[in-house]
Amino acid sequence: MKRVVVDPITRIEGHLRVEVKVDEATGKVEDALSSGTAWRGLELIMNDRDPRDGWAYIQRICGVCTTAHALGCLRAVEDALGITIPKNANYIRNIMAGVQSVQDHVIHFYHLHALDWVSPVEALKADPVATAAMQNTVLSAYKVNVTGPESLDTEAYPKEFPKATPEYYQKIQKKVKDIVESGQLGIFAAQWWDHPDFQILPPEVHLLGIAHYLEMLDKQREIVTSHVVFGGKNPHPHYIVGGMPCSISMDDMNAPVNTERLAIVDRSINTTINLMNDFYVPDVLAIGKMYVDKGYVDGGGMAKERVLGFGDYPDEPYTGTTNGDFHKNLLYRCNGIVEDFGKGLDAAKFYDFKAEDLSDPEVLNEGVEHSWYEYPGAEGKDLHPWDGVTKAKYTGPKEGTKTDWKTLDEDGKYSWLKTPKWRGKMAEVGPLSRYIIIYTKIKKGLITDPTWVEKMIMDQIEAVSKVLNLAPEVWMPTMVGRTATRALEAQVHAYVAKYYFNKLIKNIKAGDTKVADTTKWDPKTWPKECKGVGLYEAPRGALSHWVVIKDGKIANYQAIVPTTWNACPRDNKGDHGAYEKAMMDTKVKIPDKPLEILKVVRSFDPCMACSTHLYNAEGKKIKIVTTDPYLRTNQE
Amino acid sequence: MDKLETMWDVCLRKNIKRRSFLKSCAALTSIMGLNMDMLSKVVAAAEKNPLPVVIWLHGHECTGCDESFLRSATPLTSDLVLNSIALEYSHALSAAAGEPFEEHLHQTMQQYAGKYILAVEGAVATAENGIYCMTGGKPFVSVLKEVAKNAAVIIEYGACATSGGIQAAKPNPTGSVSVREIVGNSKPIVKVPGCPPIPEVMTGVVMHYALFGKLPPLDNEGRPKQFYGNRIHDTCYRRPFFDTGMFAENFDDAGSKAGWCLYKLGCRGPVTYNSCGNLRWWNGLSYPIQSGHGCIGCSNDHFWDEDPFYKRLPEYGPILGDVDKIGAAAVGLTTAGVALHGAMSVVQKKKRQAAEEKSDGKKVE
Amino acid sequence: MIMHEEPRKVYYLFSPFLRIFHWTMVICISFLFTTGLLITKPASGGVSMEPTFGNILLSLDLIRNIHFIAAFIFVAAFILRIYGFVINKGDRLFPRVWKAEFWQSMIEVSMHYMLLKPSHRPYLRNPLARMSYVGLYSMVFIEIFTGFAMYLMVNPNGFGAKFFGWTIGIFGSEFMIHLIHHYIAWAIMLFVIGHVYMAIRADFMEREGEISSMFSGVKILEHEPVDVGEIMDKESSDTFSDRKPLHAGQQETKM
Repeated sequence: MKRVVVDPITRIEGHLRVEVKVDEATGKVEDALSSGTAWRGLELIMNDRDPRDGWAYIQRICGVCTTAHALGCLRAVEDALGITIPKNANYIRNIMAGVQSVQDHVIHFYHLHALDWVSPVEALKADPVATAAMQNTVLSAYKVNVTGPESLDTEAYPKEFPKATPEYYQKIQKKVKDIVESGQLGIFAAQWWDHPDFQILPPEVHLLGIAHYLEMLDKQREIVTSHVVFGGKNPHPHYIVGGMPCSISMDDMNAPVNTERLAIVDRSINTTINLMNDFYVPDVLAIGKMYVDKGYVDGGGMAKERVLGFGDYPDEPYTGTTNGDFHKNLLYRCNGIVEDFGKGLDAAKFYDFKAEDLSDPEVLNEGVEHSWYEYPGAEGKDLHPWDGVTKAKYTGPKEGTKTDWKTLDEDGKYSWLKTPKWRGKMAEVGPLSRYIIIYTKIKKGLITDPTWVEKMIMDQIEAVSKVLNLAPEVWMPTMVGRTATRALEAQVHAYVAKYYFNKLIKNIKAGDTKVADTTKWDPKTWPKECKGVGLYEAPRGALSHWVVIKDGKIANYQAIVPTTWNACPRDNKGDHGAYEKAMMDTKVKIPDKPLEILKVVRSFDPCMACSTHLYNAEGKKIKIVTTDPYLRTNQE
Repeated sequence: MDKLETMWDVCLRKNIKRRSFLKSCAALTSIMGLNMDMLSKVVAAAEKNPLPVVIWLHGHECTGCDESFLRSATPLTSDLVLNSIALEYSHALSAAAGEPFEEHLHQTMQQYAGKYILAVEGAVATAENGIYCMTGGKPFVSVLKEVAKNAAVIIEYGACATSGGIQAAKPNPTGSVSVREIVGNSKPIVKVPGCPPIPEVMTGVVMHYALFGKLPPLDNEGRPKQFYGNRIHDTCYRRPFFDTGMFAENFDDAGSKAGWCLYKLGCRGPVTYNSCGNLRWWNGLSYPIQSGHGCIGCSNDHFWDEDPFYKRLPEYGPILGDVDKIGAAAVGLTTAGVALHGAMSVVQKKKRQAAEEKSDGKKVE
Repeated sequence: MIMHEEPRKVYYLFSPFLRIFHWTMVICISFLFTTGLLITKPASGGVSMEPTFGNILLSLDLIRNIHFIAAFIFVAAFILRIYGFVINKGDRLFPRVWKAEFWQSMIEVSMHYMLLKPSHRPYLRNPLARMSYVGLYSMVFIEIFTGFAMYLMVNPNGFGAKFFGWTIGIFGSEFMIHLIHHYIAWAIMLFVIGHVYMAIRADFMEREGEISSMFSGVKILEHEPVDVGEIMDKESSDTFSDRKPLHAGQQETKM
């Protein structure tokens, strides 16, 4: 048994550490812990601020899923104050949310995750002619053709299309060669390129992957162009409580939004759809197929046991979340909990998630048994976010000092993340969870009138199951499944943006240009005390923001973010969160080079700053795998 | 900054034998995860002039600055990262994790000691010895000090690195501070504020170095003059509306639709130095003001504590509210007090005169 | 009723330079304050207007220029003040805080103004007033420095910005500079009220020609002021006492 530590994990957002105990003989992970190693205290900083400013502060939780937290906050504040945003604002926000999810997923797969799958060193062995041929095969065999919703057809032909010319791949290969030969590998330096997992794919796929890594690096900015049009910038575009700041006028030359601006948005959405249909989805499926064919169907963990979603994309404006209106006209009704999906569709159990559940302190709450926090006066209890307390209580590691950790204490407190629970149990969230929920709901007849989004999801699942030749219950709750559903969802999000763009145009055509409801802008119009909740299906999963407003100021603010659901420390019963479970459901070939652990953790698209530890249970020899130079002294 | 030496130059300077040089090349080859048949290439490379080396550290941040860096169109990030610099260490982009990466970094820091560029994104948490931001099992603050020691120049990217950023807003529970407060002024520090900075500004600083071989000219605060040389207000395309007195009074009113000045909706353009007004975002596409929302002053030090963002003077009164109302009330009170005092003084004078007359009368008697 | 026909003496105090400065300051501060309020809370133009045809009275450009011109004139007028200070002892109003006697006088005058004492000893330049001028000048200097910092930071790399830009560092940020500038403006208004009141009061209650002194430069006192030694040598003081006493209400027209 060997305990291995990885701290910090790179190519994620934030600071994360993991420690795993590996059985060297079988490669089985016996125990795993995941620890968020940084705490910024944003909930405390929100206190006493103007609720109208809240979105700007809390948006800074994350610059990768930028906008997710801003939207969560706006929805919470608008729920508390009883504001219904105008139609145009709803459409614009949904366009921004849609393209944000696409861009986030693209960055995740190509730039944060890809180098766990493809290697520039392997790419050197590829034959450019064969690579060009393979590109054609990928396009013909792995495209998932979907029919989008009825919308304006503004694109004459696809502007972004994969290049399948040998010379192009020669040039890419030459560049990679030059970099490798220069001795300055830069971003490609020091990965375990000799790990056997890099032999799973043929060299041509590696070269293709590297080419698309670079191409998507150049293209991803065009996906979020609409943020710059509607919100002025990206990352961190601007919003206002009550709608959007970008007034629409066809009568004014200086209006933030006019025909030309809308054409920019349209162009960017068309590009986005091209990139999904011809790059992202085929690439992921081609790679996923090769992995699945070689038997890599592990890394599911919690996804097999319990997944959770809140639902998203309000089709039309709604009057509030806590009053149930939010859930009445959603396009993506993944609200609910599915248990035991890994045991097959028949054994799977579904529990609905309704608005009433939001105010029930027994349904959603957070515990701090293994977190570096305390609940003064409520020790051992789980608190509902509206009554949530954020009070730090740092205890240090099991071995080492408070400022120089060796191993963290899995029996005590070990993370800056709290442990969120649904009815006392932990759950996994994310694109995979949302797909499992929609699939289960439709297959079990709980949704009888699927929306076009839900239909598209079912079509995708069917198509992929056919390609992989596996049942959804088998391929979905796996590491590959987690990555594949993210790509499929990105395709859906791209069409969602197109759909709402179409609605926006129709509504403006009908003469409505209103983008903000400012009747409740003045704090004098607010109740003395009110509470609100904002739900949002962020790129990484179900997000909820909880606000208490008193005397025109924020009196309490709590956010349960997707990565908290997934990366949380274990609960008081010793049950593991999604990251820990997924790691324990993964086989490690070489404990000193735990590429599989990194890959499965990154398949969640971690949004934190964290680190992973693999360690020796006997405490004899601690192998610390680190991306950090200053751990050197700790070693051996 | 001096021109970077090749690894072979370093060996010559330090009087290291060719054989030892080859040995370290071999070590380097294995560290880079390459086959030994690549050794000759590595040796050849080590004798060539290398690209400027960049080490990028992350403190208390949201990774928005990395994202912004990736959004750059001119130069494209791919061109910059593959052709102009060697980004040897980055939590966001680097392929590696684990021991070999650590070795690689250590090697990089040694080989380019005193020559590498250190880019820092994020604030430094200092409360309770820095335990609120742990990386690699150690407080970030100690990591920063170590890497900063042998850096040639430090780039502070974003509001967090330049002034502590959002986590340093009141009550600053983690004791977050800027990079400069930790490393002092012993090294040249380029300050690139913004939340996040404009993509092309972020890459522009590095591009300037790659093109001209030196740092861009800096102002007295350490900001590149070419990107932070003017206020947004002084470069804003809506400035004529300000000058003429044409303002949006509420969001989505006629003034908002007409694209008038957002001064009355709290715009911080008049106090904010940034390239939003001229470079704009996405190569001139837009910036918050053009999209109808006032500037929140994100490139100003400590702007997070200059809220509420929708209020300017006189409504912006952090202590008691509208300054002009307070002023007018104070003037009213003072006037009333003065009038009262005047009246009482007259009474007092009358009394005094009466007393004097009385005593005068007595004298006459 | 007995009328007091008391002999009064005339004391030449303020140089014309100080007097011109004083009234320049009055005019400039009026303009600065009014335009300042308009800059922070501009009046808004109507809808459906084009900038070219905007109402000139709403033009912030104009209002700001008036503000700037008034500020420049104000600062320039300081030269007069300094010249007066050099050539005329009467212009030197800095409180003699290093002398115990000054503080005793302060207490005495304060007691009177708090209506606890029927009268105070006669002064040419009342110690309490002199203290208040220190306050005023401090505020004026803050306004000048913060004002020029804002004005000249248009070009942060220029010479002017180097001269005044450091002010921003002291107060934290340029946004805070705006605040400070505005708060101090109101504080100066409060000073103005107190100052005008005290001048009128002294004129009417004590008939010392406070108001007229800012035109004529002289004050007329019944008793020999305590601080007469500060403005003249023994001999010149004698010269004054030799002069034919003037009656109250009579004004000396000599400049």
